[in-house]
Amino acid sequence: MPVLLIGALPQPITEAPLVILIYAVLILMVAGALASVLMRSTLLATGAFAATLGLAALLYLTIAPFLLFAVQLLVFTTISAALLVGLLRRTTGLESTQEPFSREWIVAAGVAAAVLALLVVVVATTSWPVRATANPGAGFWATLTNSYIVGLAVLVVILASAALGSGLLLAAPTLPSARGGGSARSPSSRPRGSRR
Amino acid sequence: MSAGLNLVLAASAVLFAVGAFAVVARRSAVLMLIGTQFMFLAGSIAFVAFGRFGLGAVNATAGAAVAIFASATAVAELAVGLAMAALIYREHRSLAVDADRG
Repeated sequence: MPVLLIGALPQPITEAPLVILIYAVLILMVAGALASVLMRSTLLATGAFAATLGLAALLYLTIAPFLLFAVQLLVFTTISAALLVGLLRRTTGLESTQEPFSREWIVAAGVAAAVLALLVVVVATTSWPVRATANPGAGFWATLTNSYIVGLAVLVVILASAALGSGLLLAAPTLPSARGGGSARSPSSRPRGSRR
Repeated sequence: MSAGLNLVLAASAVLFAVGAFAVVARRSAVLMLIGTQFMFLAGSIAFVAFGRFGLGAVNATAGAAVAIFASATAVAELAVGLAMAALIYREHRSLAVDADRG
């Protein structure tokens, strides 16, 4: 029995400037991920990670509802970067081994300027982005609140549990030690010669 | 020249591989967490690509909705993981996950 297809099939994107932008975003996204994984400096790795999430938001802007782009950029990227920077402030004090005008920073600024220029060209020469102006995310919210209401409730429980759990972990004095039955003191208060 | 499902799925697969490499090969808790974030992101991108280009996409916004759930779950995982990394640092003065070894 033949399968009936209702409506038009989804078509690939064929506008040349937009295709070039998608290729550039995908290549830079993978390069940013590789850079954040391979870099020795944790601060630069965090910067590359935030840039990768921002590029993913740009990819969403080209192929997905506008609201997903906004959520990805404002919530996911911002919260992830803020959590990582918060951890680095607590541990290493955000000390970077790179000078402000070192090769890494200059390359990053050049790539950002090139992507911005390409974005300006695409916006000027194509009809993209259409979803930013026409009814942003109305169907998306309807899908979330109608079809995924149980998922939303589960999500709230997951986020609240994560917030509570991470707060309790940070409030704990120390990890229980596997070699000595646990210690309530911080390692800095231990005598220097007592380590085995 | 066109951009369709195959292109985005290939990039998603590469991103997942990069994340898996970070989880397996790196010792720093922060880099391992970043790797898991990339794996979550790869899954989200694949869902969005299927929602946009896939032949079985009945509802165009369903893929985006799943991506929202995956992103929120990734943020929750990152929050708990970073709290554990802070504890590891407090105990060993190092972010290496095997700092207690040897």
